Amino acid sequence: MGRSFGRGSAVYLLAGLGLAATLTFAACGGGQRGAAAGDAATFKIGVITSLTGPAAAFGQAHENGYAIALGEINARGGVKGKPIELVYYDDQSRPDQAVQGVNKLIDRDGVPIVLGAYSSENTRAIVPAVTQKQVPLLMPTATADNVMDSNSPWVFRLCAGSSAYASATLDFLKTTSLPRRMAIVYENTNFGQSQADAMAQAAGPAGFEIVANEAYQASAPDYKALLQRVKAASPDIVYFASYLLDASTLMRQSAQVGLEPQAFASAGTGFAAAEFPTADKGAGAYAEYTFSVSQWLPTARWRGSAEFDAAFFKLTGTHPAYHAMQAYAALLTAAAAIDKAPDATPAAIRDAMKTIDLPDTPFGPISFDARGQNRHPVLITQVLGGQYKIVHPPDAAETQAVLPTPPWSARKGL
Amino acid sequence: MTAQAAVQAAINGLLTGGLYALVGMGLALIFGVMRIVNFAHGAFMMLGMYITFVAVGATGVSPYLMFPVAGLVMFVFGALVYYGLLSRLPAGADFMQILLTIGLSLICTDAVQLVFGADYHLLNTGLASTNLALGYGLSVNAPWVVSFAIAAAISVGLYLFVLRTMTGRAARAIAQTPAAAPLMGINVHRVQAISFAVGTAAAGVAGALLLPVFYLYPTVGDQFTEKAFVMVVLGGMGSIVGAATAGLVLGVVESLTSLYWGNQWALVVDFVLFVLVLSFKPGGIFGTERA
Amino acid sequence: MTRSHALAAAAFAGALLVPFVVRSDYTLQVLFRLFLFSALGLAWNLVGGYAGQLSLGHSAYFGAGAYGLALSTRLGLPAWPSVGVGILVAMLFALVIGGVSFRLRGPYFALATIACAEILRLSAKNLTGLTGGDVGAAVPALFSGQVVRSFYWSAVLLASLAAAATLAVTRSRFGYYLMAIREDEDTALSVGIDTAKTKLAALLISAALTAVAGSLYASLFLYIVPDQVFGLDISNEVAIVAMLGGVGTIAGPIVGALILETASELFKNVFLEAHLLIYGGLLVFVVLFLPDGIVGTIVRRRTLARRRAKPPRAPDHAAA
Repeated sequence: MGRSFGRGSAVYLLAGLGLAATLTFAACGGGQRGAAAGDAATFKIGVITSLTGPAAAFGQAHENGYAIALGEINARGGVKGKPIELVYYDDQSRPDQAVQGVNKLIDRDGVPIVLGAYSSENTRAIVPAVTQKQVPLLMPTATADNVMDSNSPWVFRLCAGSSAYASATLDFLKTTSLPRRMAIVYENTNFGQSQADAMAQAAGPAGFEIVANEAYQASAPDYKALLQRVKAASPDIVYFASYLLDASTLMRQSAQVGLEPQAFASAGTGFAAAEFPTADKGAGAYAEYTFSVSQWLPTARWRGSAEFDAAFFKLTGTHPAYHAMQAYAALLTAAAAIDKAPDATPAAIRDAMKTIDLPDTPFGPISFDARGQNRHPVLITQVLGGQYKIVHPPDAAETQAVLPTPPWSARKGL
Repeated sequence: MTAQAAVQAAINGLLTGGLYALVGMGLALIFGVMRIVNFAHGAFMMLGMYITFVAVGATGVSPYLMFPVAGLVMFVFGALVYYGLLSRLPAGADFMQILLTIGLSLICTDAVQLVFGADYHLLNTGLASTNLALGYGLSVNAPWVVSFAIAAAISVGLYLFVLRTMTGRAARAIAQTPAAAPLMGINVHRVQAISFAVGTAAAGVAGALLLPVFYLYPTVGDQFTEKAFVMVVLGGMGSIVGAATAGLVLGVVESLTSLYWGNQWALVVDFVLFVLVLSFKPGGIFGTERA
Repeated sequence: MTRSHALAAAAFAGALLVPFVVRSDYTLQVLFRLFLFSALGLAWNLVGGYAGQLSLGHSAYFGAGAYGLALSTRLGLPAWPSVGVGILVAMLFALVIGGVSFRLRGPYFALATIACAEILRLSAKNLTGLTGGDVGAAVPALFSGQVVRSFYWSAVLLASLAAAATLAVTRSRFGYYLMAIREDEDTALSVGIDTAKTKLAALLISAALTAVAGSLYASLFLYIVPDQVFGLDISNEVAIVAMLGGVGTIAGPIVGALILETASELFKNVFLEAHLLIYGGLLVFVVLFLPDGIVGTIVRRRTLARRRAKPPRAPDHAAA
């Protein structure tokens, strides 16, 4: 190969370039913008999430949440007299693909609003794209604070962010009489590092001392040495930022190495998943007494929470974590904004979104501040008797926090 | 850090290393006879985990008894992959082998996701919370010990297979001098097929043994593919004893790195070790041969 | 000027004119990826195809270009000179990685390149003070205004540059040295070729082109994280593009990128969750039925046909 094909290769080079141009027209047909806004039979809304790749489990949670909302909205007549059609784009858990998705959904499908993505990395990546395209983006689940850094007038975030997580946790800890040496343990992803940075920044001014700040490689089978290292720093409080599976591993292995702080606290996600306190899919009894930040629970007092839980269970046979609820609420919010907007242009929907005020959704009241951040209250929960119980803020608390955490040897059912 | 903490970390690392060893030996066997960079090895391990998960779910029998099922199914699967795909490639087609194994890995991962969903699963054995005290304040977690013991037994079995059986000897002959083997009357295709199937089965069994202490999801195998590459090179030239030893070494090194330097550097140390060995002792830590 | 030159020029002009017809940013972005990966595949091909050194760690140079741009501008350097810094960093990496891995042969070389790229990826994740870690780094915009269109043109230019460089290399003594190394390194050494220097030179050119591609890619998205630009995915995709099209040919990487990028995009929109299955199937199909890659197989068949045909006649360019 390759020895005598100077001229021949040039011909193939040509063929490649020519074919590229042809394919452009064939596959993409010019792609007029805003096609859906006209006389199409459905109202298209763009959704970017991770249907494949490492984050696919969460993409599926999104998909289920959206499906439930879609069923409800279309059953009552859709938006602007048309049923909603969700156009999905799989970002494969990769940021560049998410950006490609924004362009596809807007240019080819003509969607006037985009929901997504799942992860903070991918969401952060699509902010410049929607801003440049001037189409509103509603973020259901990205907690890293840098997704809101751009101050773009086109982005809205439904979930609370990492600085809210840190300050809610510290507010709660200050109400207790615990000593204040804290270790932060986080997975080395955008989510983990954002949470750790937010906590490290907020802890000092709140009167807490950071005695260890440990990153770890996510989804490894063995964290015992990591936890031994944390134990050697003898913290009073351990603050984890982890996904579900690592959360279970970390708690089980904390028992194995005898890591016994006075409180295990966490930045939600893995520690707030419905499966986490269960024995068959989570940490079981090892989850007991852990504190977590939570955005939503099936037992939340907001009206419709239980109904959503039931609908989700009917659809999937499992109980939802808050990611599914956030997707569900995102579509409800988008639909409300579309209905409220005088027309279906992206700008009109954006303006409607800015002034939206939904006092009574299953995800709590929804309205956005000047930066586009939903004023979502953050709850602190504790696993007690295998159930998440809200222990903070006081006006929402179901029960009193149990402190300090008993040593492993004094626990039952392990 | 106390000496006791270091010893404890080394023990835990050794237990993890036992499972790495099994993954590495499987790849070493394949690498030895075929010289292929098998990007699907982690996916094979993942398949072993799902097979065990399904078998345990269907029968309710402990995963520690179900690993032969994973081994058997993956053996057949490996043989099919060899005869159906790999054997059709011309010898020395490195590029195409890599393309093929990457394609295969994508197919396995996505097929599993389509069947089982992307959601995570966990298998609790009841042993999970049993810790065995060793004295001096040291202890080990029971499921890791059981998995380690089975992995060790299978590793010895693999070693005997390579050392004692005709196929094993032929495989070693191919590994040492690929060109001469057919001249010695060795049926290279058959030996490669058996070695590939055994290596695939080893990955499947390693998956089965990892299941009780880990969790599963479609892309769970990816991290182990790289780790297996590292072990094969550290062990040297498809030497399965070398790969097994390298697995144990990796387990301990990762654990001690986590303890002294932080978990985030553990993988870096793996690869640095790997590059150092390649640079200064290309035949592997335990090999004598030149790559 | 021969007919093939004229056709190549026409195609180049045609590719440059595409944005005047195609207004959709999505289509342009898919085409940007297509030409970017053509360029990457061509750059990889110098080392992987012509010199026969199977690098599976080209993300090291891609990431160097991306982070070179992001971090130098943070130090106050303007955007375009920062691309130059990215190139220099990538070439520095190439010197070190080449120094370590070129002593190894076959699969050992491939594995060493993976390890080096992984060390860089993990270090970029861990050295948060330098790179920002997983929170990511902002990347300056290389263009303003109609950005996707400008990026598309840059990618076309880069791919053309890579193709021209490849053409120049294959016609030079340097190119013959590379191919001699691919055919038999020991023989090449014995006839007096400085194989180490030759391989390194190819890698340096390859790394520089790859770094420019990395800068363009990063700047289009304005934001990068280590897993994205230093990841194994990038290394594999670059190699796959060239292997699928046919290693050691100029048209191979371009055809590979064309097929792979359009297929992956179409599959994704049509098959949703099943698209990786189909994509994997495509790879397996090519391996089984087009064992020299797409272009490689065509070229071989044409050569065979030409040899059989008597008397030998001039190749029919228009049929290609």
